[in-house]
Amino acid sequence: MSLNRIEKKMEELKAQNKKAVITYITAGLPNMDATKEIIKAQEGNTSVIELGIPFSDPIADGPVIQQASYEAIQAGASLKKTFALMEGLRKEGSEQPILFMMYYNTIVNYGINAFVKKCNEAGVDGLIVPDLPFEEQDDLLKALEQNDATILIQLVSPVSKNRIPGILEKARGFVYCVWAMGVTGQSGSFHREIIDYLSSVKNISKIPVMMGFGIRDAKDVEPMKDIIDGVIVGSHFINLLREAGFNPAAAKEYTAKLSKEIN
Amino acid sequence: MIITEINSNGKEQKMNKKAYYGEYGGQFVSESLMNTLQEIDEAFEEAIKDPEFIKTYHYYLKQYVGRETPLYLAERLTEKYGTKIYLKREDLNHTGAHKINNVIGQVLLAKRMGKKKIIAETGAGQHGVAAATGAALFNMECTVYMGKEDVKRQALNVMRMEMLGAKVVSVESGSNTLKDATNEAIRTWAKTAEDTFYIIGSAIGPYPYPKMVKEFQAVISREAKKQHYEAEGKLPDVVMACVGGGSNSIGMFADFIDEPGVELIGVEAAGKGIDTNEHAASMAKGRPGVLHGTRSYLLQDDDGNIQLAHSISAGLDYPGVGPEHAYLHDTGRAKYVPITDTEAMDALMELTRLEGIIPAIESAHAVAYALKKAKEMTMDQSMIICLSGRGDKDVNTISDYLAGKGYLN
Repeated sequence: MSLNRIEKKMEELKAQNKKAVITYITAGLPNMDATKEIIKAQEGNTSVIELGIPFSDPIADGPVIQQASYEAIQAGASLKKTFALMEGLRKEGSEQPILFMMYYNTIVNYGINAFVKKCNEAGVDGLIVPDLPFEEQDDLLKALEQNDATILIQLVSPVSKNRIPGILEKARGFVYCVWAMGVTGQSGSFHREIIDYLSSVKNISKIPVMMGFGIRDAKDVEPMKDIIDGVIVGSHFINLLREAGFNPAAAKEYTAKLSKEIN
Repeated sequence: MIITEINSNGKEQKMNKKAYYGEYGGQFVSESLMNTLQEIDEAFEEAIKDPEFIKTYHYYLKQYVGRETPLYLAERLTEKYGTKIYLKREDLNHTGAHKINNVIGQVLLAKRMGKKKIIAETGAGQHGVAAATGAALFNMECTVYMGKEDVKRQALNVMRMEMLGAKVVSVESGSNTLKDATNEAIRTWAKTAEDTFYIIGSAIGPYPYPKMVKEFQAVISREAKKQHYEAEGKLPDVVMACVGGGSNSIGMFADFIDEPGVELIGVEAAGKGIDTNEHAASMAKGRPGVLHGTRSYLLQDDDGNIQLAHSISAGLDYPGVGPEHAYLHDTGRAKYVPITDTEAMDALMELTRLEGIIPAIESAHAVAYALKKAKEMTMDQSMIICLSGRGDKDVNTISDYLAGKGYLN
């Protein structure tokens, strides 16, 4: 098993004793060229980029990402165009770790094996599939096991409890901890057992533990910063990009600040 | 149909095959709902083996819903079309359709599990009204998610739900219809599952929902089978029902699936025609995919985005179908056929004028195909049509349609 870009980045951060910054953007919002520039602008600040593949029925996303998906589809975004974007980035020499966050139907529709092969070739380092729980992952994992270029990131939630050891047994890259129960970006309050939950995941996990859902800045994670290995910013990042007219400079400025503040 | 597969090592596969009907079904939900689904599965399996639970369920079906519903020999249709046509009168249930059968079962299960709140999705409002009714009866808090478009189109049902004490949430996302209301109900459920039970009205959703809906709708075919024996001394030759998500049809098929001599026919909504872009025929024109927690046939575009369904009947206006129907389709046990808006409305008028029964537009789809099918049958044969609901809710749609068609004059 060789390390892929995400795993190498995790090793690098560990060696430097630094925390990861992971951002989410919707591919093709407002267009594929802008998405590419927003990715490139985060070089050096963002550890891993989550590229959302827009889907018509994003059941695990809150209103901000739902709207982003809807607009991106209206503007012509698709999986095929996102693959082209990835190929372009890698051709230009980008070594930024990038993963796709997407719904399972988009993969099934493309064909699981063909999809994985294309991910390997296009330099897609990982996948997050929020509607594909552990019990349903066999087909996808079997296709991914053919090589190490693309890995599946596992999600756990505060109600996963007894499921966590099984989910983490073969998990690679990092583990994505959902902290507000349920969908992305809506809750401003902490889950009542957040600290216990993150500690229990951290105790079991052999790989870095990232906290996602609803985070805006370093202050939001201050109480648990000694437990977690990094943060994931989704809805807030989309909002701030939108306010800045999707200017890549805003992505650069925000990620530089966040990266500095959590370290 | 529960399938447990053992792999070559003799070990049960990790994939939860129990949740599958052939290659369809499964549990495609966020991680935060997986323990919830397991709790529901355990509670459901326990409940249906508990004589007290079953007794209570049947008590409410009898005394509150008004079961059993008649199996009526439609005399004038029979005479005109030349084969015995029986109607299973689900339209005579309290709240006007079969939806209440399942709601009573699921609300009783929710109570048994100690849940205080229920949520539901609704398209035309029939399942929403049934859920609100069940909530009022059992003193539970109820929130119904309904697409903004449907809230406008079905104002009368919105009022009924509110009268019953339910909160109706108008969903503004995507196409603002049933599929989006279902998305929003699932999102809410993922955040609130600790005290909230999600009552799914169609034979869709993650396992065990398709199984629960079938179990609680199977009363339709259990009664019909017995009633047909009483009337004819044999099994029917054909059993027919309309299919949107597939709840009345799976209930109508349930007790006949293991009777190979009985032909099962599901009638999909072909809208303006299956060769147009405006239909809801997911089996005729869709491909297998994953939506709302389950793998089944779906209307989708080249990128795998879900397409909008169209039918004059709001209850069939859904881009997918229950996973067991997909399985029955692929194995050939049931046949699925499309019926257009026009064919359904003609059948609606035919039934109304010949039998004095105004059916729901959904049910009229089954009637329409039955009248076609009757042509290849004889007076020695018989068929049962599930008349899933009554047409009162559809009077505005019917009136608009008839005005355009000039029927009333």
